[in-house]
Amino acid sequence: MNFSSTLIEEAVMAFTALPGIGKKTALRLVLHLIDQPGQTSEQFSEAIVKMRRNIKHCSICHNVSDAEICAICTSPKRNSQIVCIVETIRDVMAIEATGQFNGVYHVLGGVISPIEGVGPDDLNIESLEKRVHDKKVKEVIMAISPTIEGDTTIFYISKKIKDSGVNISTIARGISFGGELEYADELTLGRSIATRLPYQDTDK
Amino acid sequence: MLELKLVNFKNYEDLRVSFSPQLNCFVGMNGMGKTNLLEAIYYLCMTKSNFGTNDRQMVRQGADFFRIEGNFAEQDKVVAKVIPGKQKKFERNDVAYDRLLEHIGEIPVVMIVPDDTQLVSEGSEERRRFIDNTLSQLETGYLKMLMTYNKVLKQRNAALKGMGKSGYYDDQLIQAYNGQLLAPADFIYQARKKFIAEFLPVFQRFYRVISNDAEQVAGVYVSKLENDSLENLLRENEQKDRILQRTTAGIHRDDLKFIIGGNPLRKFGSQGQLKSFVLALKLAQFEFLKQQKEKKPLLLLDDIFDKLDRYRVAQLIGLLLDQDFGQIFITDTHENRLEKIVEQYATNYRKFTVENGKII
Ligand SMILES: [Zn+2]
Repeated sequence: MNFSSTLIEEAVMAFTALPGIGKKTALRLVLHLIDQPGQTSEQFSEAIVKMRRNIKHCSICHNVSDAEICAICTSPKRNSQIVCIVETIRDVMAIEATGQFNGVYHVLGGVISPIEGVGPDDLNIESLEKRVHDKKVKEVIMAISPTIEGDTTIFYISKKIKDSGVNISTIARGISFGGELEYADELTLGRSIATRLPYQDTDK
Repeated sequence: MLELKLVNFKNYEDLRVSFSPQLNCFVGMNGMGKTNLLEAIYYLCMTKSNFGTNDRQMVRQGADFFRIEGNFAEQDKVVAKVIPGKQKKFERNDVAYDRLLEHIGEIPVVMIVPDDTQLVSEGSEERRRFIDNTLSQLETGYLKMLMTYNKVLKQRNAALKGMGKSGYYDDQLIQAYNGQLLAPADFIYQARKKFIAEFLPVFQRFYRVISNDAEQVAGVYVSKLENDSLENLLRENEQKDRILQRTTAGIHRDDLKFIIGGNPLRKFGSQGQLKSFVLALKLAQFEFLKQQKEKKPLLLLDDIFDKLDRYRVAQLIGLLLDQDFGQIFITDTHENRLEKIVEQYATNYRKFTVENGKII
């Protein structure tokens, strides 16, 4: 594509760096911004810069957060004795959207997959162990995708925390998540959290 | 299979060909694309190449996708649409499969190629592949278990390698993998054991017919799981695994030892015996699949004169047609050699002359 303007070209390039945006879409977005008052672009870029500069990860649950500790962890309405373990921040959002869960979260940051260079140390497992041992956690719910790597991760974590006497459950895995939790529809996901099953350790 | 359509598959840009329900012969010089036709049919049944060729190498030069369509009956169509690295889709009557493995076994197939002698001459991997290929076509559950086992094994090996590098041995992670291997390993072991017991008599019958040979032949399944549980094996081999940084015991080390006249075939078999042995194995695979599935697999015979002389080819074709092997596809490099033999036996056959990715 020939843009006849370096300014436009640079803006298009910036948009195409985002996932799912090709050159055509990027150009459409840029042309749209040109049609709008300058203020729109300024607000747009300011929001992004501000977000990126100030966004943090909660020091307790590793969810995204505006402050040192996230809104879920600080909320007095949430039951901090029940911790739901998820792979990513998007899983937190999916479960929150169901409105069915009143506990708190722990974001692992992925699943154990040595093939892809992800070992237990690369995930937030140590902080989970501490959390379960130090705080008065009564129940841990594993909301991890039903894959081989997910199974490994559940198995591994349950070994690490079961000495603390915490109850470990998994969300109903018979239901199809379409591979990933974030794609589960809200109703199914909500139901599967409500009907979670105690985790059966295979080699007791 | 009534009809095959190819687009950009290997050296075929655009091909449409109708088949005889009994015998189909592709003749032409080497490199013209005879074997590619068999490979396309095999791919359509098994969702991959018989030769381990990757999808990228199956696209015609200069193209970025290939398509294979087979009409198996009036109302039964299978289509493979493959854009290497991007998309691999199989459709049955215009409905796409969620998972490719659901298609495997739907249209059973047996392919016989000159390379088959590797079954005897090479390491145990080829023989496991033969067993797995047969069982996968019989039972989707087997293939699922095998894929799970292999994936866990790969992760376990990667973990062992990583631990070797970092010097920190995480026993709990290895335990997690051990736990995940047990159920699939047991399932696969039981299935293989049962298969070999049932398969052996079928194979022995075919060997007798093909070889005119009084030698007793046998196959013995060798697995460490015979005497011990995988759980114990993994524990016993823990130190060894740590040092070698890979999993040293398990069903991925199983073998099928071939015996002729009481001796190992690999050492004592003559070249002729090896070829007869392998051919009998493949024909027995056909017969076994047919019995179990109550459906005749497609039989693809590549370069049959490589294995057998003229007289034996005649004998074989007689046998195939006599026992009603269903639909057969054969390739040969000589224009008339095959036809002369086929004419004597087949009531319904078609000959296709293949030249540079076209049927003329
Ligand atoms: Zn938090």
